[in-house]
Amino acid sequence: MSYVAKQQGWVGRQFNRKEDYRLTTGKGQYFADIVVPGMLHLVFVRSKHAHARIKRIDTSAAKAIPGVVAVVTGEDVRDAIKSLPQPVVVPALPARYPTFWPLAVDKVKFHGEPVAAVVARDKYVAEDAADAVAIEYEPLPIIGDMEDALKLGSPIVHDGWENNEMFSMTFTGGATPESQAANDAEVDQLIKSADVSIKGRYRVHRCGVTPLEPRGALATWDESDGMVAWITTQRPHIDRLAMSDVLDIPTERIRVIAPRDQGGAFGVKAPFYREPILVCYMARELKRPVRWLETREEHLMSVSQERDQIHDLEIGATKEGRIVALRDRGLADNGDGCEGVYWGYLMPFLGAALLPNAYDLTKCDIKIRVACTNKAVLSPARSFGAYPTRFALERAIDRLAHRLDKDPADVRRLNLIPTLPYVTATGVNYDSGDFLKVWDYLIKTIDLTKFRAEQREAWRRGRYIGVGFGVGAELSGVASSVLVPMENQPGYGAATVRLDPRGKVQVFEGDAPGGQGHETSMAQVVAQEFGIHPNDVTVMHGDTSTTPFGSGTIGARAGSYTVSAISTACRVLKKKIARVMAHDLKIESDPDDFVFVDGYVVYTKSDNVRKTFREVVERIIMAPLNLPAGESGGLEHTSFFEADAPMICFSAHAAFVEVNSNSGQIKLTRYVTSEDVGTVINPQIVEAQVQGGVVQGISNCLFEQFIYDENGQQLTCTFENYKLATAADVPTVEVHHEAGTPCPHTPLGSRGLGEGIPGAVPGALTNAVCDALRPFGIEIDELPLRPDRVWRALKEAKRLAAAE
Amino acid sequence: MNKEISITINGEIFQQSVPIRMLLVDFIRDVAGLTGTHVGCTFEGVCGACTIHLDDEAVKSCLMLAVQADGRSITTIEGLAANGKLHPLQKAFNDHHALQCGFCSAGILMNMAEFTRTNRKLTEDEIRNALVGNLCRCTGYAHIVDAIKEVAGDAGSISAVHQHNLERA
Repeated sequence: MSYVAKQQGWVGRQFNRKEDYRLTTGKGQYFADIVVPGMLHLVFVRSKHAHARIKRIDTSAAKAIPGVVAVVTGEDVRDAIKSLPQPVVVPALPARYPTFWPLAVDKVKFHGEPVAAVVARDKYVAEDAADAVAIEYEPLPIIGDMEDALKLGSPIVHDGWENNEMFSMTFTGGATPESQAANDAEVDQLIKSADVSIKGRYRVHRCGVTPLEPRGALATWDESDGMVAWITTQRPHIDRLAMSDVLDIPTERIRVIAPRDQGGAFGVKAPFYREPILVCYMARELKRPVRWLETREEHLMSVSQERDQIHDLEIGATKEGRIVALRDRGLADNGDGCEGVYWGYLMPFLGAALLPNAYDLTKCDIKIRVACTNKAVLSPARSFGAYPTRFALERAIDRLAHRLDKDPADVRRLNLIPTLPYVTATGVNYDSGDFLKVWDYLIKTIDLTKFRAEQREAWRRGRYIGVGFGVGAELSGVASSVLVPMENQPGYGAATVRLDPRGKVQVFEGDAPGGQGHETSMAQVVAQEFGIHPNDVTVMHGDTSTTPFGSGTIGARAGSYTVSAISTACRVLKKKIARVMAHDLKIESDPDDFVFVDGYVVYTKSDNVRKTFREVVERIIMAPLNLPAGESGGLEHTSFFEADAPMICFSAHAAFVEVNSNSGQIKLTRYVTSEDVGTVINPQIVEAQVQGGVVQGISNCLFEQFIYDENGQQLTCTFENYKLATAADVPTVEVHHEAGTPCPHTPLGSRGLGEGIPGAVPGALTNAVCDALRPFGIEIDELPLRPDRVWRALKEAKRLAAAE
Repeated sequence: MNKEISITINGEIFQQSVPIRMLLVDFIRDVAGLTGTHVGCTFEGVCGACTIHLDDEAVKSCLMLAVQADGRSITTIEGLAANGKLHPLQKAFNDHHALQCGFCSAGILMNMAEFTRTNRKLTEDEIRNALVGNLCRCTGYAHIVDAIKEVAGDAGSISAVHQHNLERA
């Protein structure tokens, strides 16, 4: 076997995770496990009203409780803490940004908004004291519905605003009002003159991807060194900059650490939230360590709420089913809109940009409006903003197929983008891959022809089985060209690779994972590059004092951008090692003449010329004498990786269901996916991203729902009434990567996958239910997809059939 | 109001005066310093991350007061391995990639360690139904089911669990 062939060792191989030993033996290092001597406990007093003027806050009873160190209100902090927005956490997009502090000032705007905070030596006492804070409110009219919020004469969420519109945007037709108007007219004409048009209102309810570990922040203050803050976060470097701005702490005196282990994040831990600001502020005020550990109730009241969009979407198509034009008017309910980095509206913004999905839709007219209401702000959740737009378009395609009496699979294939690269009508770049190959693999795997025969037979016997499809062209990392305008942050992946004299490797990345297995996948990449074992590699992340700047663990960028930075850094170091080795051996050679394999550095032109990796590394670090001219000692390199173009990964899903035509009960019988993840680094980890992402999508679609009553009271603040899918609710997903294409823009050919996975689910599931119920002609366009909704639709269909 | 209690955790006695309102999970985490037992809900007992063994029975330690465990014996995730040898479920969880963030894993392992002690030749449905007291947000459960199946499924061998328990005793 040649050395080149043997080198294909660690990338693509199943390798059990390095993280698991500590995590399965109770030795994980999560936020709540961090204890600092003298640590005080902070508890927030949260608003019981959705919209009310704060008349008076009496903290005297709370302050009188032994063990209470401080009680603060919005009035106490409004002059001491800079309000948001601050530039580092504001997108470069024209939106209206509400001013806010960590604690409510003047009025409360949603049920659960922090109004005051208590700091005490004991956490039980802190809760007692929080109960003793007396707040007098003057209730105000509630803005509870996004459409009403945008009507003339609606009560206003934010004082000083003339209406509740936070953001609106046209995504198509160029940059000027004239070109947009011309585009709109053309789309209108195309839809009007099309063989068929399908118009619908598609609605996805408020739900999200709440992680099992809630949030928290712990800050210490030292007069000379400044602040160290542990925050549950996907973006420690951004948090550091933002904290520096709002608290006026110079950046050299602030260090933010994302705990080594985080109990899931899925986007929820990506924003710059108000609560950690107050924790850091109080630590500095009191000059004592202060910790806030969020309860599940607080979490479900204030974050993890996403989706919540309505889309009035119309498509025109030929009688063959080829879509010729699309018009969408989107609406999103953004709650109070107060949240650093995302401000709630960035999700519907990106959702609209991604609406065309993997379909070849050159003529589009897409516009959205985002309203403020008296609810918690939208916070990011995996399938960022796109879950509702994916649902809308996938439903529209099935309705088109039904109208034309064609198989939805055929109509879908007819409209998939046939060749890449491609730029969507909304300006999103799809770099590479082969959608049709991935799609055809899915259809072959499920044997659609056979299923259709079984379905006809089942219908004949009064059983209702169906299949539904959904696809997703998802971000594989977020390029700077996208992230700078969208979030005012760079998109590059960054990593430092450091070799030690024993031939072992440390990797430092500035992002902060929450269970994705970075320590393992990244060690496999390093092991592959240097020809060593993954156990010889240690990956460290999340500490702003030791890692290179990175924008955070977001948008599936680890498998695309961060591993590419690691790989690039390794290759720079390999060239240096090769140069020194050639110099020592007195051979004239190109660095590529050396390969790194099985713990050796080998001169390919003569197998006998080799040194152990350790030996040559030690020589460069510890004995930097007689080096080639211009070369210095040491082996450490930091790479910042930016791809030539924004990249994607692609997946196609098929859901199979059986529906009880009497009760509306839905049984999910099979779920199959086909993905293009490019070069697979660790097959188990990649498969697990799909398993977990699909089940999150199912859970959102069938079970989860945040409910606010007519008074704006949030009724779903525990896991008893905000139901997540359990093991008994879901099947094992059949996951296939066989039809992938290596990405030409990354050094390994890998693609980042995971973030967008839930997005294809609601379309696939709902399409499957409607497919099963084709004999009744039922179309469901609103989620959640619950048995009562199906039952009502069945009842209506049966009533209409009886009337005919 | 405080009360002096004595709880044996992983074979070690913790004798301490504690407030009577202290939750058992707080005693385990804050008094005994065993942070492998987690809290994922507001003590409504749904997430299952705090599951421990109380006198060999799997219970959710957020639903009990510490004083209720006075004089009893507890095993937490830190005590699941026997003399440094992992429980077969711990090993199977690693082999099958049955965890991502790991926050729920301790509770699931403790619940399933008890369940597989008395239940064997389990079907997938039985395993999935046995897991409804534990929420996992990352994995979609498939790999957790696979891991449990290997240890106690139709084709699995439960004897490894018995062997492990003998060694631990």
